[in-house]
Amino acid sequence: MEKLFRDKKAICLFIAPGGILFTIILLVPIAYAVYISLCEWNALTPPQFVGFANYIKLFTNDDIMKTAIKNSLFFTTFSLVTQQVIGLFLAVILSNLVKGKNLFKNIYYLPCVLSSAALGLLFSFLLNPKMGLNQILAIFGIQGPLWLMDAKGFIPLPMWVIGTVATWQYVGTTMMLYMAAIAGIPSSLYEASYIDGANKWQAFKNITMPLIKPMAKTTISLTCIGSLKFFDLIYNMTQGGPNHKTDVLATHLYNEGFQYFKYGYASAISVVLLAMCLFVTFIINRSIKVEDYEM
Amino acid sequence: MRMRKVLAVLLSTAMMTGLLSGCGSKTEEAAAPAAATTEAEAPAEEAAPASEGDVEITWMFWDDLEATEDLMSQQYAETIKRFNEADNGYHVNVITTNLEEYDTKLNALIAAGQAPDVWICNPGPNMTQYVEADVVMDLTDVLAKDTAWNDSFTGGIFERLTYDGKIMGVPTNFAAACVFYNTEIFEEVGVSTPTTWTEFMDVCQKIQDAGYSPLSISAGTPWCLSMVAGYLCDREGGPDNLKGVADGSVKWTDPSYVNAANKLVELSKYFQPTYLGDSNDQATANFYNGEAAMLIQGSWAISQINGNAPEMQDKCGVFQFPGVEGGSDPNRWIVKTDNLLVSKNTKNVDACIALLKEFTGETAQKATAEIAGKMPIIDVEVDYSKAPKQLSYVQDIMKTLTGTFGFYNESLASVEAGDKFDNTMVSIVMGDITPEDGLADIQKFYEENVYNK
Repeated sequence: MEKLFRDKKAICLFIAPGGILFTIILLVPIAYAVYISLCEWNALTPPQFVGFANYIKLFTNDDIMKTAIKNSLFFTTFSLVTQQVIGLFLAVILSNLVKGKNLFKNIYYLPCVLSSAALGLLFSFLLNPKMGLNQILAIFGIQGPLWLMDAKGFIPLPMWVIGTVATWQYVGTTMMLYMAAIAGIPSSLYEASYIDGANKWQAFKNITMPLIKPMAKTTISLTCIGSLKFFDLIYNMTQGGPNHKTDVLATHLYNEGFQYFKYGYASAISVVLLAMCLFVTFIINRSIKVEDYEM
Repeated sequence: MRMRKVLAVLLSTAMMTGLLSGCGSKTEEAAAPAAATTEAEAPAEEAAPASEGDVEITWMFWDDLEATEDLMSQQYAETIKRFNEADNGYHVNVITTNLEEYDTKLNALIAAGQAPDVWICNPGPNMTQYVEADVVMDLTDVLAKDTAWNDSFTGGIFERLTYDGKIMGVPTNFAAACVFYNTEIFEEVGVSTPTTWTEFMDVCQKIQDAGYSPLSISAGTPWCLSMVAGYLCDREGGPDNLKGVADGSVKWTDPSYVNAANKLVELSKYFQPTYLGDSNDQATANFYNGEAAMLIQGSWAISQINGNAPEMQDKCGVFQFPGVEGGSDPNRWIVKTDNLLVSKNTKNVDACIALLKEFTGETAQKATAEIAGKMPIIDVEVDYSKAPKQLSYVQDIMKTLTGTFGFYNESLASVEAGDKFDNTMVSIVMGDITPEDGLADIQKFYEENVYNK
């Protein structure tokens, strides 16, 4: 078997299916999108090459793009902070539970398996002024805010609301990943530390934290990339409205592409989005140093 | 060792076969729903299968003809059924999709060279993009030769379907935007229908003092609000306003637009408290539930109002959008037609024309008015005792009509320009931006995207 893996032909043969699939369904479309981003194209007439005109407009003369980048960055930061803090907290608590560990694990993970489209609709009903939350507040004589329509402020209220819903939905994933990492830490390490007189907090800080670092890198990358290209909840809850105040990169892309049929311009947005995702991944890989520990 | 090699080869073969068979079943799976969709896409086919030798054409529509509750869509389904059952040698297959995906799907089909033979289309920039892409058949000659058909249409109905003197589409019905009011609330408060802006504001104030919402409107569905804005822009500056911004002779920042935007802000005091979050359906519901006294909507709302609250038919009046003092002609109406376009590349022109004639024929047009409550586009005898009451009110007050114009968002340079107008009007009303700044923003958009092209 080992000999087989040293055979170059065999290696090529086994890599080929994956390589071909990856090229056809990922690399070729990406390359084509980059080409289209240099064209003006409405899908009805042949693409017209316009050079970097789409990119120039994108960065110098598109107010919605500014809002979208601002909102996407806010969303990424918000998700990163809330999911890391709450996810890790839940993972540590649940890992130490003796009873009901599986029950709570399932409860916290449940929103993650629900369809985002359904959740988006559910919350847009709950937060609709005519039904749901505001009607309950009205019983107590409180006039609730327009959760999904208030456009005031640098970061408008709907962005906070959607961020909270997204945290509720995805915190389960972060929690699960951290729980898996914590489960991989041998209990003998903790026992040794307690014998040496460490308390729970010290054990967490000096044993758990360093040993889950590789997982932290994974979850941070996943959260950042997922938040940057976030689309479904926004589209289902506000459609980027009112007046594009809650647009993110993906909804801006969708509008330009599928509402106005400016496929070239939309492709340019998608290339920027891709570049941002790559950049963030690069930064995370560079800034989080993972050391190997013998366990 | 050799044994091992043989085993390895055998195992890999097994894996590859598994992989391939996996692929096989996947393709089958993928093919199965596709077949199911085709079936769903052609509901008319089941009712009357194409007889042998029938020329088959396709027609694309923006609603599901089987499941729809919309009275107008049901009439479209009836017409298709009639056309397919008739012994005319033609058969039409229907491609349906929901409204949200309609444009995307249609464009994809056209781009792939598989345009439907006939499709339904909104007037304005939406239609313009197909005309400019040169995929629409010019119907001028067909209409010129068939004088009987040509003469059956109401005068001026082709105005917005004509490009460079060529008629590119045929309308199937039309709707007009007006103000619906609750006659009970008006009586209780003691006001009558206003004809001028001052009277309108006065009526609104009195209704508000009596504890009702004077006006129900949706900013959650921006075109609802922008329809009112469009009326105000036209009342202030008349037809010159739309023409002017198109060629650049009028600026969005000119006084007539500023006045219109200011009036819109003035009017917003009288909207129901939840107008920012309410959708179009919710805003209409506020009216037929008796919470709001007035609703500014297209006449298509009639079937929605009567369908949900039958008792409303007896207490729902209609008046035309009031004029403004010192403004332009107050007898101009916002109207909108649904239109059929024929593909330039269709192989069966005769079948397509026959289908258009079925849609614009007397039977279909009578049903359009009497059952669906929309206005027919040919001069046909309509029995108004069968039709919803509001329809005859609308027809009555339209007798003073001097001109029509389209929805503002559908009359501007592009779909995007229309959205820009809609969204800016919402922002202005929300107080997010001043009328002057908002209009300057539209002017900037026009200078960059329209005049510079």
